[in-house]
Amino acid sequence: MSKINPDFSTELKKYGAINFNACYNCGNCTAVCSLSDEDNSFPRSMIRFSVLGLESEIQSSVIPWLCYYCGECSETCPKQANPGELMMSLRRWLTTKYDWTGLSGLLYKFIQLSIIAFILTAVGVIVFSVYENFKLENIMHYGHLFEMLAIGAVFSLILIPNIIRMWWFIILKPKVKVPIVYYFKGIWDLIVHMFTQKRTLGCDDNQFRWFEHFILVGGYLALLFTTIVLDWFGTENLFIIVLGYVESGIIFIVTFDFVLSRMKKKKEISKFSQPSDWFFVIWLFLLGFTAFVVRVFIDTNLLENNIWIYLFHLIILVQWALIIVPFGKWTHFLYRSFAMYFEKLQKDIKISP
Amino acid sequence: MRNKIGVYICHCGSNIADYVDVEKLKEIVAKEEGVVLAKTTMFACADSTQKEIVQDIQEKNLDAIVIASCSPKLHLFTFRNIAIRAGLNPYNYIQVNIREQCSWAHSDTPKQATEKAISLVLAGIERAKHSKALTTLKISSVNTVAVVGAGVAGMRAAIELADMGTQVFLIEREYFVGGRSSQWNKLFTTDETGQEIVAKLYKKIITYNNITLFTGAEIVSKSGSVGDFDIKVKINPRYIKPGCKLDWAKFEKAVEVCPVEFDDPFNFGLTKQKAIYKNYPSEFPEIPAIDYDKCNKCGECVKVYEDIDLNQKPETININTGAVLLTTGFDPYEPEKGEFAFDEIDNVITLQKFKRLIELNEKELIYRNRKIRNIAYIYCVGSRQLDGENKYCSRYCCTSAIHTAILVKNKYSDINNFHFNRGIRTYGKQEVLYTESSEIGDIFLQSFEDSPPVVEKQGKDTIVKINDILTCGKELEVVADLVVLVTGMVPRKINTIADVLKVPIGRDKFFNEIHPKLRPVETVIDGVLIAGSCQAPLNITESVKSALSAASKANSLISKGEIELEPTLAKIDETICEWCDKCSEICPYDAIIKTKHGGKIIAVVNETSCKGCGMCLPVCPVNAIQLIGYTDVEIESMIEALI
Repeated sequence: MSKINPDFSTELKKYGAINFNACYNCGNCTAVCSLSDEDNSFPRSMIRFSVLGLESEIQSSVIPWLCYYCGECSETCPKQANPGELMMSLRRWLTTKYDWTGLSGLLYKFIQLSIIAFILTAVGVIVFSVYENFKLENIMHYGHLFEMLAIGAVFSLILIPNIIRMWWFIILKPKVKVPIVYYFKGIWDLIVHMFTQKRTLGCDDNQFRWFEHFILVGGYLALLFTTIVLDWFGTENLFIIVLGYVESGIIFIVTFDFVLSRMKKKKEISKFSQPSDWFFVIWLFLLGFTAFVVRVFIDTNLLENNIWIYLFHLIILVQWALIIVPFGKWTHFLYRSFAMYFEKLQKDIKISP
Repeated sequence: MRNKIGVYICHCGSNIADYVDVEKLKEIVAKEEGVVLAKTTMFACADSTQKEIVQDIQEKNLDAIVIASCSPKLHLFTFRNIAIRAGLNPYNYIQVNIREQCSWAHSDTPKQATEKAISLVLAGIERAKHSKALTTLKISSVNTVAVVGAGVAGMRAAIELADMGTQVFLIEREYFVGGRSSQWNKLFTTDETGQEIVAKLYKKIITYNNITLFTGAEIVSKSGSVGDFDIKVKINPRYIKPGCKLDWAKFEKAVEVCPVEFDDPFNFGLTKQKAIYKNYPSEFPEIPAIDYDKCNKCGECVKVYEDIDLNQKPETININTGAVLLTTGFDPYEPEKGEFAFDEIDNVITLQKFKRLIELNEKELIYRNRKIRNIAYIYCVGSRQLDGENKYCSRYCCTSAIHTAILVKNKYSDINNFHFNRGIRTYGKQEVLYTESSEIGDIFLQSFEDSPPVVEKQGKDTIVKINDILTCGKELEVVADLVVLVTGMVPRKINTIADVLKVPIGRDKFFNEIHPKLRPVETVIDGVLIAGSCQAPLNITESVKSALSAASKANSLISKGEIELEPTLAKIDETICEWCDKCSEICPYDAIIKTKHGGKIIAVVNETSCKGCGMCLPVCPVNAIQLIGYTDVEIESMIEALI
């Protein structure tokens, strides 16, 4: 027995859902979706749950993460109920539900808070630089240290607890009994999905988008490795220097294309942009671009006299690491992979004797 | 005896000829005594064939024709007209149905189909031999129509008839005009209120000299027939002196002092009504009325309102009219006790009552001291019943419920609408309402007819549960502050007019037309027409359409001054008849009159009322009755040919 909660619609609209109440349950969206299957049929099922406000049903579902937003459902919908954008909004809503701090929800719903957070982090970096008397060497040293610390802290304090919460919602709370051995068996799938996003290829017309996304993820993770472990900004090794250039180049070129397509609004996926979407693509672009420029300034020996360029990069980096990664759209990368992992567990149990 | 008979056998393309051996049929028929011509033809109804038949009749001097073809329902009049054009009496034409009765019915056994066709055509020839030339009856008619029911349909029909020059008597049972429409607020699509529409029509009606309006009036008896009905109308007094203008202050005082108080039927019991009343201030006619049946004549009102005259008496007047048009409307379905907890849980009401509740609550929606936020609408109550008698869809209710839900949401804050339906039927333009309501967040839940939603009490809460087929049959529930039963239309509970006029009633208990597609506003009682929701559940648009159609039908029927009737009627041989009353008892049309003739009492057929149904023939113990066109001689000769 589930109670209907019409107020949920209003809540969901704050996460970007548009006009999904217009749905009259024809099911064209599900019929046209190339990823929907017998076990997990969507998006109509999710629209219905959203209209009825069955929160716990949505919370325990992996379905929103199974959609890669090709947009065909929205194009086909006879009532312009935007099923594609609804699925996107559910993903946004779910990330705030997984987040134990509750900050993601606040930052999603109130853009003012996001702006304040961005300003505070920028001020923090500047104050710190003043404290260090703008000594480039020191600041770069602490910048490097920060990267390492931030990754450790964000993962251990925010992201891992959140994944555990997600596991609780999807597996434990609905009392899905999963033998331990299944968790090990599924790990390969988790890794493959996380690094390849191969399910995207199941969408119609998504090959190029998948390729862009694939090299972006690769470039991003590689740059992370290159700056932290190989110390790109400090190294004299030509191979590492070139590697860093290529990686940061990939990041800002691909994200530039993403920003452009969000501005052009030609595809369904880029028609509706929430602030969180803009922050994600713009900051990632700036991250790659400033890193690239900083290294150029190092190689041309200009950085010593243009310390501001490094400070700008550091501000972007801190904002990225403390706001967008733990509370913003970056988490989709993680949750989606785990959703796929949990879905595999559910399926394995179903087919096991 | 006719002995120059022409027989035409139609192939009907391949419809007949593929199964019935038409050539063999022609050969046999041609040998028959009295047949001077036998032909086959591809299509008897084709223009060229019709011309050929006319030519044959004239050249060969035929005195009767038989056409073996389709059902007379389809082409009787087509072929009769051929006879008329050729100068032959149309009643000397006989149609034999060898399509529906032979080729179509026996397509598996063509041999037998042919044999049957031969027998039927031979019988038809026998009948043709004995056929008489008949002339249609002509009766005179007065150009007057009595329209019964001054709702929107009745008033619109009255205006139309008056425009065409017909004298109209508009007879309304209530003291005020408008009928059901005046109870409804804003209407789709124009957002006009029912009361505004009623006011518009009334203001137009009073400008016509040839419309006479009676209120508080009912037809109590009818005699005569089409073109010349005599109806008696009983008019209850209004107890207001004639010619008085409304004095609102005095009227309010009179209401105050009136001791008679009862549940207001206009507001479905949401308010109390006094014996002196107006349902709403701008109601027409403007002057108030005192309910004849409820008033106890205490005289208190007369003391404060001198225009009141309690000495008025009911009167009965006679009206001579050519036709009667019934626009008597509908009643909302009254749910049974316990039907979706109706009458058991106090916050379960009907849609019609809910509409009045909205009218009466200006700022906040409150029912029984409870502020309403969640409203559950349960659809198809009293319509599309699986077990009950009302199998039909009431058509207007989906639209009305959704329209009302949108109104409520716009009028008050914080309203949630939940529609428990069995499939939404907002046909035509009304679909935009459905879209609008879902876009503003109304929730639609659907179930099959065999597992309807359940309304029950849980503690203080009223819960509506459903296995929603749109959510894979999941059991869902809503805590409802108010449950609105979307009740359909049923025929008027008090429907005395049906007995007085002997209006045929359909299986759905609404008044029945002759043919739903081809003669949708006429009844089998000549001169009695029907329109609006007394005939079937209709919305206002559809009611007005049928009213206009009935108005023009009525006018074309009676405005020529005379009406032609079929001569195929019962005829009683006065020399044989010895009044026994059997025929008049069985006649469904009251067409047999007891008369004195040549010193004895006999039965005589009123030709204008008789339909030629033949019911009286077999009951006559002395065989004094013959049906013209189907006389014993004709029928017996046909039987002989068949055996």
